[in-house]
Amino acid sequence: MSRLYDTVEPSVIDDDMLHKAVEEQGPKEEAGRIAKAEGIDFADVKSLRLDFKNILKIDNLWCFDSLTKLQLDNNIIEKIEGLDTLTNLIWLDLSFNNIEAIEGLEKLTKLQDLTLYNNRISKIENMDCLPDLQVFSIGNNELDELENVIYLRRFKRLKTLNLNGNPFCKVCVQEENPEDGSEAVYTENQDYRPFIIAYLPSLDYLDYRLIDENTRAAANEKYHLAIEELTHNEEVENKKEEERQAKEKEHNLHKAAYVENMDGPALFHAMYTEDAEGQKLADMPGVDEMLVVYKEKYVATCHQIFEYGLQEHERRMEEVNQFWDCIEEAKRENKEMGMKQINQFMEYKKRLFQELTHLTDQQVLDNKITEYNKRLQELWDKLMGLELQLVDQLEEATKDFERNLSDLVSSFIENCQGHISALRDLENIHHEKLLEISIVTLEKVVKNELDEEIPEDLRLLFVDKDTIINAVSSSHDIHLLKIDNREDDIVTRINQWMSQLMTKIHEEEEVKRNRMRVSEINNLIDHLREEMDTLDLQLGYN
Amino acid sequence: MSEETEKIDTVNEHEADEKIDPEKGVENGDGDNGEDGEAPPTEGDIQKEVENLKAELEKIKVEQPKEVLPEEKFDLEEFDQSYRENLPKEKLVLAYAENFRRQYVHLYRDRKPLLLNPVNECGVEKFVSTTIRPTQLQFPEVYDWDGASEFVADYLNFEPLNPPTDLPKRLLSSTTVLNRQKGNCFEYSTLLCSLLIGNGYDAYVVSGYATKETCLMDETREICPLLQKKEEAVKEAAKKEVKKYTVKPPKDLTSKFEKMMASRKVAEREAEEAKRRKEEEEKIAEAEKPPPDPLFGLRIHSWVLVLQGKREVAESFFIEPLTGLSVPLDTHQYLGIESLWNHQNYWVNMQDCSDGVKGMKYDLGDCTLWEFMFQSNEKPLLEIPEFHDHDDDDEEEEEDETEKQLDMPPSWVKAIKITLRDFQMRCPQGKKIKLYKKSKLEKFAHYLQKDGLTAKLSVYDDNELKDLVQVKEFFNHRLDKLYMRGYNHRTDWVIEHYYPGRQRCLKEHTYKRSASGPENERTMVFYHEARVDGLLKREETPVEMTEHFKNRDDFLYYRHILFGKRAKKFGPSEGPNHRPIWKIHEKFHRNKDIPANEDIADLVFSIQEEKILLTYHTEDVRVSASTREFIKPPNADEKGATLLMTPDMHTTFQVDPNQSSKKQVELYQMLVDLVRREEKSRNKVRDSEQEVRDILNDRMKEEVASELEISVYDTERNEKAKKHRKELERLQLEEKMRRQDMEIDYLAPFIAQLGDPEKINKETAFRLKEAALTDLKKRLIDKANLIQARFEKETEALQKKQLWFQQHQVNMSPEDEEDYMSYCSEMMFRLNIFEARLNRHRELAPQKYMALEQRIRQDSRLAEFFMNP
Repeated sequence: MSRLYDTVEPSVIDDDMLHKAVEEQGPKEEAGRIAKAEGIDFADVKSLRLDFKNILKIDNLWCFDSLTKLQLDNNIIEKIEGLDTLTNLIWLDLSFNNIEAIEGLEKLTKLQDLTLYNNRISKIENMDCLPDLQVFSIGNNELDELENVIYLRRFKRLKTLNLNGNPFCKVCVQEENPEDGSEAVYTENQDYRPFIIAYLPSLDYLDYRLIDENTRAAANEKYHLAIEELTHNEEVENKKEEERQAKEKEHNLHKAAYVENMDGPALFHAMYTEDAEGQKLADMPGVDEMLVVYKEKYVATCHQIFEYGLQEHERRMEEVNQFWDCIEEAKRENKEMGMKQINQFMEYKKRLFQELTHLTDQQVLDNKITEYNKRLQELWDKLMGLELQLVDQLEEATKDFERNLSDLVSSFIENCQGHISALRDLENIHHEKLLEISIVTLEKVVKNELDEEIPEDLRLLFVDKDTIINAVSSSHDIHLLKIDNREDDIVTRINQWMSQLMTKIHEEEEVKRNRMRVSEINNLIDHLREEMDTLDLQLGYN
Repeated sequence: MSEETEKIDTVNEHEADEKIDPEKGVENGDGDNGEDGEAPPTEGDIQKEVENLKAELEKIKVEQPKEVLPEEKFDLEEFDQSYRENLPKEKLVLAYAENFRRQYVHLYRDRKPLLLNPVNECGVEKFVSTTIRPTQLQFPEVYDWDGASEFVADYLNFEPLNPPTDLPKRLLSSTTVLNRQKGNCFEYSTLLCSLLIGNGYDAYVVSGYATKETCLMDETREICPLLQKKEEAVKEAAKKEVKKYTVKPPKDLTSKFEKMMASRKVAEREAEEAKRRKEEEEKIAEAEKPPPDPLFGLRIHSWVLVLQGKREVAESFFIEPLTGLSVPLDTHQYLGIESLWNHQNYWVNMQDCSDGVKGMKYDLGDCTLWEFMFQSNEKPLLEIPEFHDHDDDDEEEEEDETEKQLDMPPSWVKAIKITLRDFQMRCPQGKKIKLYKKSKLEKFAHYLQKDGLTAKLSVYDDNELKDLVQVKEFFNHRLDKLYMRGYNHRTDWVIEHYYPGRQRCLKEHTYKRSASGPENERTMVFYHEARVDGLLKREETPVEMTEHFKNRDDFLYYRHILFGKRAKKFGPSEGPNHRPIWKIHEKFHRNKDIPANEDIADLVFSIQEEKILLTYHTEDVRVSASTREFIKPPNADEKGATLLMTPDMHTTFQVDPNQSSKKQVELYQMLVDLVRREEKSRNKVRDSEQEVRDILNDRMKEEVASELEISVYDTERNEKAKKHRKELERLQLEEKMRRQDMEIDYLAPFIAQLGDPEKINKETAFRLKEAALTDLKKRLIDKANLIQARFEKETEALQKKQLWFQQHQVNMSPEDEEDYMSYCSEMMFRLNIFEARLNRHRELAPQKYMALEQRIRQDSRLAEFFMNP
C-alpha cells in the first residue's frame, strides 16, 4: 500500500499543516467562531489527526503538550521518532506506514491504545515502558516468530490484540513459482490462535473476535505444560523482585536512620579491605584467634549502634508526625473560622444586593453602601486577625518543635559517638595486642625460633623493629580513619536533615503560607469592593 | 407482728365508720330536699330553683347493689380423677399442712391465716404447692420471663378478690384458668410460676399485701410503657486530645469580672426557674396522688418472685402478674409478704413488714427469716460457699433422714396446653384495653383486624381521657409494609412508618391529614441504601421542595427547588400543567479526583432571572472559594438552537489571581454543559413531583385494599396453601375409596353358589367358610403342582440336552460347546428359581390359609356367627 506513495512528494509537518488540521478538527459552530476569534493554542489541543498527508518524518509536534490522541495513519513514516514530548498520549495510531522497527516510545508511559497495523515490523520489542497498554494492533506486519509474541505477556492489562496477516499466521501451501508467475498460496496457521490465547491470559479479543470460554479452555489444555513452566519461572522472578524491593526498602529505612550496614560486619570488613598490612599481619601466629574475638566484640557494638539508630529514627519520625498533625489541625481550625466569617458576609451581601435593586432613594442607598464598605473592612480585619493569630501559633509550635528535635538529634549524636568511641577503644586494645604479638614474633624471627611457616610477604615485614611497628600502626591508622569517617558521616547527615527540615518549615509554613493567605484575603476584599462599585454604577445608571 | 395487727384493727374500725357515711349523706340530702320543697318559690327565681333542683338531684345517686355472682359451678365430669380425688400421699400432705397450720395459729395467734389448702374447681382441698405444674410451652416467645409474664397478663382477664381483704377460698387449676381466660391474682401467679419454673427459673408464688392500685390492676397512674422515653445514651463529647504541639488558643481578652457577673445572673435565673419547676411538679404530684385508701395494708395480693442464680438472672426481682412487668425488690407497691411457695415447698415469712417489702431478705435457707414447711426440700440459698464443702458429709446423713420424711407429691394439675390459635389470639376474644396515665392502649391479636392493626395507643391531655392529643396505631403483616401510624389531633400531622421492601423504598411519611394531596406540606424519608438515586429525604411545602441525598456518584447531596405560582391556562390544556420552577439550588460534596478550584460545590439555576451561579469548593490552603456567574443566552430554551455567547455573559472571581484565566472556548463549553445540566435537573424535578404523586396514589390504593401478607409457613391462614392441602387430602381420600372399591369381594362367588340367599344363617355361614377355605386350599395345591410340573419339564429338557451333548461331544466346535455350557448354566439357574419358588409357596401357603380364615371370621356378613364359637 505504501508503495503507492513512493512517487508522490513527501510532505513535512509544518505550521500551516498543523494550523489547518487543528482548525478543521477543533470546535464547531459557535464554539468554533469563538475559538477562531481567540486563536487556538497548540498546547490545549487534545486530539490531532494527520492522516493521508504523505508525511515521511514525524516532527514539529513538540508544542502539543496535552495531546492525548494522535493519528498519523496512512502516511509514509519510516521511523517512530519525535514523540518524546507527547507524554500525555493515550491513543497513538501509526497504521499504514512504512515503519520497520518499534522504537521511540519510551516516554509515552500513559499509552493505552497503540496501532501499528500494516507496517514492516518484524519483531515486537522496545515496549517495556508502556505498562497501561490495553489495545495493541500489529496485524499485517512481518512478524515471523510466534515465540516473539510471548513478549506481550508483560502487559497485564492487554485486552485486545490484532496479529492477523503476519507471516506466522499463515502456512505456505504452495510455494511461489517465479516461472509461471503464480504467487505463493497460504492458509491460516491453525496453531497460532490457541498459542496466543494460552500465552496471553489477559486477552479478551484476538483479531477482532471475542475469545470464548471453550477456546480458552482448549488452548490452555494444549499448552498446559509450557505455560505452567513459564508461569513458574515468572513467579520465581516476581518473588525475587519482591525480595529485592523489600530489601531495598529496608535499606532505605536504615539509611534514613543513618545506620545502614551497621547490622553486620560490613564496617569491620571495610576496615580491612584497604588495609594491606593488616591483612598480612593477620597471618601472624596467634593473631587469627585474637581477630575472631575482636570481630565479635566489634560487630556487637556495631549492632548496638544499629538498634539504637532505628529506635531513635522511630522516635524522631513520631515527633515529626505529631508536629505535622498539630499544624494541620491548627490550620484547619483557622480555615474553618475564616470560612465562617466569609460565609456570614456572603449571606449579608446576597440579602443586601437583593434589597438594593429595589431601592430608589439615593440617601438610603448611600447609607447602605457605606455600611457595606464598613462591614467589608470589618471582614478584612477579622480575616487578617485570624491569620496573624495563626502565624503566632505556628511560630510558637515550630519553636517548640525545633527545640525538641534538636534535643533528640544531639542526644542521638552523643550516644552514637559514645558507641563509636567504644569501637575505637576496641581498636586500640587490638592494636596494642597486635603490637605485642608482632614484637614477640619479630624476636622469634630474629632468633630463628619461629616454628610455624609464615608467608613470604609477611616475612618481609620482619626486617627490623621499625618496619613492623610502622606496618602495625599504619594498619591501626587506617582502621581509625574508617571509624572516624563513619562517625562524620552520621553526624553530618543527621544535621543536614534537621536543618533542611527546619528551613522547609520556616519557608513553607511560615513565610510562603502567610504571603499566600494575605494576598488571598486582599484579593477577596478587593473583589467584593469592586462588585459593589459595579453594582453602584449600574444603579447609578438606572 | 403485733404492731401490724393493731394497725389493721384500727383500720377496720375506720372502715366501719366510713361505711355508714354515705347513708348519712343521702339522708341529709333527703332532708335538704324536703326543706327546699317547703320554701315558696318566688317569681323570677324559678330559673335559679331549677338550677338548684338540678344540683340537688345530682347529689342523689343510686348505687346499684353489687351483684353477687353465684360461685361458678363446674361440671365434675369434665375433670380427671386427679382433680376430683386426693391420692393417699396428697391426703398425707394435706394433713401435714393442717397440722402446720394449727401449730402456726397456736404459735402466732395474731397473724393472719395462711393460704394452704384451698379447694379446687371440684371442691376438693388441694395443697397450693401441688397446684403449681411446671410446664414448658412449645412457643419460643414465652421462654424468657418477660415473654411469659406478658403472655399471662395478656391472655387472662382479671377478676378482683372479693372481698379484697380475704384470702380466696378457692384456687383453680391453671388448665381451668386458661380455659376460662380469667382468674384472680393467685391464679395469675400460679400460672405464671408454672411457666417460669418449667422454663428453668427459680420462681415463687408470693402471698402478701399490696396497694389498691396494684390489687385492682389500676394503671391509670402509671405512664404507658410504650410512651416511656428511652434514656438517650449520653454521649460524652470526646474531649479534644491535647497533643504535644497543639497550638495555644488565642488570648482571651474579655473581662473576667463581667463574665462572672453574667454567670451569676444566669445562675440566679436558673435557680428561680428550677424552683418554679419544682413547685409545679410538686403540685402535679400532689394532684395525682391516689386518694387515701381505707383498706391500705389489708388488701391481699399475690405476685411472683424470681430469685437470682438460675437462667442467668443476676438479681432477684418481682413480677407483677397482672401487668406482666418486672418490679424491683424495694418497691412501694407491695406492702408485705405473708408466705411464698413453689412446687416443692412452702415458706412463711418471719421478717417484719411494717416498712413494706423494702429490706427483706430472700435467703430461704435461713429458718430465722423463713419458716419452711417441708424439711426435705430445704435448700440453703445464698449460703456462703465455704459451708458447702463442709456440709457434704452432713448431706448424706440428711438424705437418709429425708427418705423417711414427707416429700411433695406430683402436681394434680394436668399439663398446661395452649393451641397455636389460642396463643396467637393472646387476649380473650383477641382484644384487650388497658388504661394508663393519660393514655389508653388497645391490643388486638394478629390477623384479627382486617387492616392488620395490633395495638392502638391513644394519648390524652387529661386524666379523664377526654381530650385526645394523639393516636398511635401499630400494624403487623401489612402488605404495604406500614407498621406504625401516628396522628396528632392538635397539629393534624400524620406520621407513617414503613418497613423496607416497598416499591419506592419509603421509610417515613409525614403529612397533614387535612391536606394529604400532592404539593402540600409533607416529608418523606426513604431507605436511601436501596434507592438508585440515593434519596434520603424529601421535604415539601406548597412552593418548595428539598431533597437530600446520600452516597451518590455525582456527589450531589442537596437539591432545593423553589416553585412559582401556577400560570392560569385558558382553553383546553395540553399536557400536565406544572408549577413553574423559579430556582434550583444544588449542593455537592467534594470530588477528590479533580482540583478544588474546578469542583463545583454549589450550583444555582436561577431560572427566573436567567442566571446560573457557580461556587467552587475551597482549596485546602485557602479560605475563600472561586465563583462564576453566567447569564443564560436568550435562546437557551429553544431546542436545537445554537447557543450564542458574548464575553460579557460571564463574570468570575478567582481565588488565585495569578492563575491563567479560562479561554472563551472553555467557558462556552462550560455554558453549554450547564444549560444541558439545567434541563436535566428540571426533568429530575418533574420526575420527583411525579414520584410523589405516584406514591400518594399507591398509598390510597393500598389503604383501600388493606391486604395482609401471610407467611407460606402459616398453614392456618394461608388460603392458597390451605386450599392446596385440602385438595391433596381430597385426592388421597378418593384414592382410598377407589382402592376400597377395587377390593374384590372374595366371598361373592360362594354366596352366588348358594343362590344369593337374602340372609345368611349360621349354617350357610359355616358352609361358606368351608367352601372358601377348600377352594383356597385347592388352589394352593394346584399352584404347587404347577410349579412342580414346570420344574420336571425343564429337568427333562436339560437331561435330553445332556444326552445329546454326550453323544456329539467328539465332533463339536468350541463355539457349540460354549453354547451348550451357557445353556446348561441357564437351565440350572431356572431350575433353582423354580425350587426357590416352590419352597416359598410352601411356606406362605399355610399363612395365606390362616389369613383367609381370619378374614372370613371378621367379615361383616359372617362375623356374628363366629364371634363366640
